Amino acid sequence: MDINWIKILGLILTPVIAFFVGALYGGLARVVTARIQNRFGPPAWQNLFDIIKLYSKSTSIHHGVMQHLGPVWAITASTTTLLFIPILRDSVFFSNLSFDGDLIFLMYIMVFGSLGMALGAGQTGNPNSAIGVSRGLSQLVGYKVPFILSLVALMVQFKTTNLNDLLAVQDSFIHWNIFQSPFAFMAGILAFLGMMGYKPFDIVFAPAEIASGPPSEFGSKYLGMMLTSRSIFTFAKLVLFTDIFLGGADNIFSLLIKTFLLYMIPLFVGIVNPRFRTEQSVRFFWGWPTVFGILAIIIAVQ
Amino acid sequence: MISITGILGITFGAAIFTFVLHHLIPKLRNIVAILAVGTTGYIAWQLPVDSYLMHFTIGSFDIVWGNSEYSQLFALLISVLGFFALLYSHDFMKGKKRLGYYYMNFLIAIGSMYGIVYSQDLLSLFFFWEIMTWSSFMLIIYCCKDSQQIGLKYFIFSAIGAYAILTALILIYVNLGSITFIKIFSDFGSMSFGVQLSAVILLLVGFGVKSAVMPLHVWAPESYSISPSPFTAIFSGALSKMGVFGIGIVLFKLAAQGGYYIYVKEILAWIGGITALLATFYAVFQTDAKKLLAYSSIGQLGYIVVGLAIGTPLSIMSALFLTILHAAFKAALFLATGAVYHRTGTTDMNEVSGLIRKMPYTFLTALMGIIAVSGVPPLGGFAGKWMLYQSLIQSDHYFLVIIVFASSTAAFLYLYRFIFSLFLGQEEKEFADVKEVSWLMRIPMLSLAIFTLVVGVMPGLLLDPISGAMGYLGVTASEFETTVIWNAWGNKIDMFTIMNSIGVLFVIAASFITIKGFKRGRYVTTKDIHTSGEVPTENENLTYAVDFYKPFERALGRVLKPSVDKFYNSVSNTLEDLFDHLRYVYTGNGQTYAMYVVLFLVILIVFSEMIFGVKL
Repeated sequence: MDINWIKILGLILTPVIAFFVGALYGGLARVVTARIQNRFGPPAWQNLFDIIKLYSKSTSIHHGVMQHLGPVWAITASTTTLLFIPILRDSVFFSNLSFDGDLIFLMYIMVFGSLGMALGAGQTGNPNSAIGVSRGLSQLVGYKVPFILSLVALMVQFKTTNLNDLLAVQDSFIHWNIFQSPFAFMAGILAFLGMMGYKPFDIVFAPAEIASGPPSEFGSKYLGMMLTSRSIFTFAKLVLFTDIFLGGADNIFSLLIKTFLLYMIPLFVGIVNPRFRTEQSVRFFWGWPTVFGILAIIIAVQ
Repeated sequence: MISITGILGITFGAAIFTFVLHHLIPKLRNIVAILAVGTTGYIAWQLPVDSYLMHFTIGSFDIVWGNSEYSQLFALLISVLGFFALLYSHDFMKGKKRLGYYYMNFLIAIGSMYGIVYSQDLLSLFFFWEIMTWSSFMLIIYCCKDSQQIGLKYFIFSAIGAYAILTALILIYVNLGSITFIKIFSDFGSMSFGVQLSAVILLLVGFGVKSAVMPLHVWAPESYSISPSPFTAIFSGALSKMGVFGIGIVLFKLAAQGGYYIYVKEILAWIGGITALLATFYAVFQTDAKKLLAYSSIGQLGYIVVGLAIGTPLSIMSALFLTILHAAFKAALFLATGAVYHRTGTTDMNEVSGLIRKMPYTFLTALMGIIAVSGVPPLGGFAGKWMLYQSLIQSDHYFLVIIVFASSTAAFLYLYRFIFSLFLGQEEKEFADVKEVSWLMRIPMLSLAIFTLVVGVMPGLLLDPISGAMGYLGVTASEFETTVIWNAWGNKIDMFTIMNSIGVLFVIAASFITIKGFKRGRYVTTKDIHTSGEVPTENENLTYAVDFYKPFERALGRVLKPSVDKFYNSVSNTLEDLFDHLRYVYTGNGQTYAMYVVLFLVILIVFSEMIFGVKL
């Protein structure tokens, strides 16, 4: 068996790139938020520095094996998610493992990380963590419905469940799925708001109310690993949505532009909106987003 | 001894033998039961595939027993699960009363299930079906006095199912003159449309009761939760699968011959989907761990019914795959719950908390169990769910796939609740001296959990026998390799790559954080946490367990309000009133009955000319 070194290099480099881009986006989000609120905010690379600082700290306490492995679990899931998404179209270097998995697999592996983190947070015994998990899982059931609806619409329309095939049909600007299947995009992007966890869907972490919820007992390296995981996962979700609706990207620059613009959507929505309660957000996702998703399927079947 | 008579003889013989041994040498009783099931498992594995192994007649009925790949799949499921459950019973049931009764009924239940899968005619199927009902009823009422009401409910629903099967049997016998499977399978289509349809519906009702399809499920949650844990594993893992076994035969061997097939399929698929969704929602709000798992079982069987009813090669593959896998992971979960019960004496999730450090192996079992149920890769549940979704999308069931997917996502809620409440969360003083269960109880649980991992990475191992069983049902299996499965559009999933990716990343990350941190870290108790500056006092309750999903309950609103159970209760109350009126006739007084006899004779004499044509 000959070993494809290019692919292996890609497998190693992809998470690293994802981490840097994801952390930088996080920082940029803070800058943008600050500017809108007429502040200056921290420098864009602040998040990156924070994470590197956290890794240099040593921890002196732990709450048991499950709490110890919680961040490990989260980072495994987010990196695996990333590796099964083609980063650029027709690129050997960045195709990674995308031919061995499909959209349904991605949907499940994306939950894997939250489950691991929830288990880790559970062992700490902090009631705030448990409350956060309870809210997070309820909200998950909410936004998964429009998300699957939009994905099913696309799967049915193009008779494939593989992301590479979905990329292949979006060969020119007018063939992007945002234009080919607008209702699926609307359902998908509304579900995306829930996935990113900005306002109005940030009751899971609600810092002032339940002390950041699930991660409240994690410090130093644990927190560093969790933030790394979150950065990678953010990038993975952005690339996934770019691949599904925005025709993927031919080179790294167009990828950065598309993902950054996509990232601004939940951010802008979040800045101008107050917070939903859990049941309100669940009901929101089962309302219009679901209707859009059903419309998308009906149009796709026609 | 490699024969069906051997299998049935050993199990039923051992049933009586254990009962006798219980009074003579109690220690041998467990060993005999375990050995008996182990031996029958070996025989079931070695039994040649032949649909005509044993034949005799009772009256004018031909009784045929035989083996097919389909029967073999289920027989092996029964024997392996039975073996593990009995192994587990050895320590679990130690010190309990009436163990002879317990083991006897346990073995009779297993024997009758063997009988069902090896039956090649409706009469023996019905016969063994009734034995199965009786023996499982005996085990439901084993525990305590309150169980009688629950047992009665189970029995009434089982009776409805049994009489549905019996009626179908009579219908078929009257029309075809035979009840052997060979004859029925070949000539079913020659009967008139009405007879065919009513036979199919009656049989589906009969089998649907055992697999707890809504609205016939109301007996299941209570019966599952009250029977002893090792038997609950069998109940949910194997006994409910007898319904699946029957539904498979009815759908693909009988209904497939008629023009109504497509409608029966669609309706059944939707019933299965709604069962899955509603049962999952009910499971989310349970407070008893076993009841939660019972509702979860109903939901999971809903998926299996959906898979069977869709009827494409991939969906049948997924249904049978989930059948075996559900038996493994749900049995593992029930056994883990049993272990918790064994040590703490309760399965109430609001009471038990923080057992992870006391019962690490049980926790590991429960963890693998919930991952398998939720369908998260790399464990087995994922391969099954993947096939189910693919087949639903590719057979144009777009809205059914949404329902199934929504219920599968909602399953995360109750699964997290289950593991969080029992094992994670605050460590309570009350359970400070709880110890891990013995190895005899750990081995069955862990083996079942590891099985879900193995078939998760290599689904082909299980799909091989399943494709054989599908051959019996007359469907060619869709394409698969040991670790790769393809869908109808040619997209594939490679479990080996997935496992490698997850495994490598997990090991790298875990060793990084362990080398850098864990050793120097000091364990702190669950009271030593961040509480925004307030120091919790020693007796302050920090457990978050009651109304765990209150926001979700509010979000659902009135969806869960209507209850089939209430409907049945109102029916039974009305009937009770009716029977109360009957008490005026059947007073229970000897003199009244004597008067009835006299009245009857008087009527006979007065109207004798009309009735007999002779004047007395």
